[in-house]
Amino acid sequence: MIKILIVDDSVFSQKIIANILRKQVEQSDIYFAADGWNGLEKYKELKPDYVFVDLLMPGLDGQSLIKLIKEVDSSANIVVVTADVQNHVREEIEKLHIMTFINKPFTEEKAQIICDIMKEKDNGKQ
Amino acid sequence: MENSDMTQDILKELFNISVGRAAGILSDIVGEKIHLNVPNVKILEASSESYAIDEYISMKKNGTLMVSTLSFKENYTGKASLIFSAGKMRKFISLCLREEQIDRYDLDFSDVDFDIIREIGNIILNCILGETGNLLNISFRYTLPEVRLFNAMEFKYDCQNTDNLYVLILYITFVIGDTEIDGAIIVDLSLHSLNDLLARIRRLEESLYE
Repeated sequence: MIKILIVDDSVFSQKIIANILRKQVEQSDIYFAADGWNGLEKYKELKPDYVFVDLLMPGLDGQSLIKLIKEVDSSANIVVVTADVQNHVREEIEKLHIMTFINKPFTEEKAQIICDIMKEKDNGKQ
Repeated sequence: MENSDMTQDILKELFNISVGRAAGILSDIVGEKIHLNVPNVKILEASSESYAIDEYISMKKNGTLMVSTLSFKENYTGKASLIFSAGKMRKFISLCLREEQIDRYDLDFSDVDFDIIREIGNIILNCILGETGNLLNISFRYTLPEVRLFNAMEFKYDCQNTDNLYVLILYITFVIGDTEIDGAIIVDLSLHSLNDLLARIRRLEESLYE
């Protein structure tokens, strides 16, 4: 089973990401958090294989969450899914050694790209 | 606020590009082709008596407006609001959820409906501001998106009582299948931010003749 944690304050986006991932990742357990602090807590508790993080969230924002997750586990596999299309934001976030940076909306095509990266990383785990 | 024809033309083209990208994003969300009209852009003084928002918000006659807002601070100060007639929002939400459309025009929106409008508004406004920022090398620091229902008078009051002095208004119409959703995007800007924006456009204009 591949454990995936989705951290996004929008329930709409959580559901879209989860529905698409369920179609493409056959054996997955998907968990949710609605803000950064809750995301960090769930990361420590669940130790997910992949974390999907939104950037603009109440409380602890996505960028700060990524830094804290990386302090706990520098090899954490983090996918950023954000509405922010600014080049300077992407450059700043990519310096945090994330797996990839995706702009919303999350689509099947974008999920496929991520799944290909996951397959390469997992060496046939799925 | 006087602007040369070329400044106005560049501003319109920049927003055309970013609104075009936003239409592409919306098309991905609803899974249908989106037809978009060319936005008309105006710069107005928020406090001026001539600032007759009634004249520009054509859907005011339909009563309630649904306003999705994304504020920004630090280098650039202001807020961007996406305004639609609330009566069309039920259909828009069904399109976003790819559900069968129900002919309901009530204004009884649930938390889930507000969440959807907040998130879609956030995606569209991020695209419009972010793409314009990328083209002009401006960076925005956003605060959390909000969504509110207003009647036209309350909205006019809210617009005129902003701390920001100038407003950029873009009129947009999205046609999704057989549904026409017309709306507007209002960007309130502080004087400093507007001057900086216009200076960047002038530099772009000058570079055309180098």
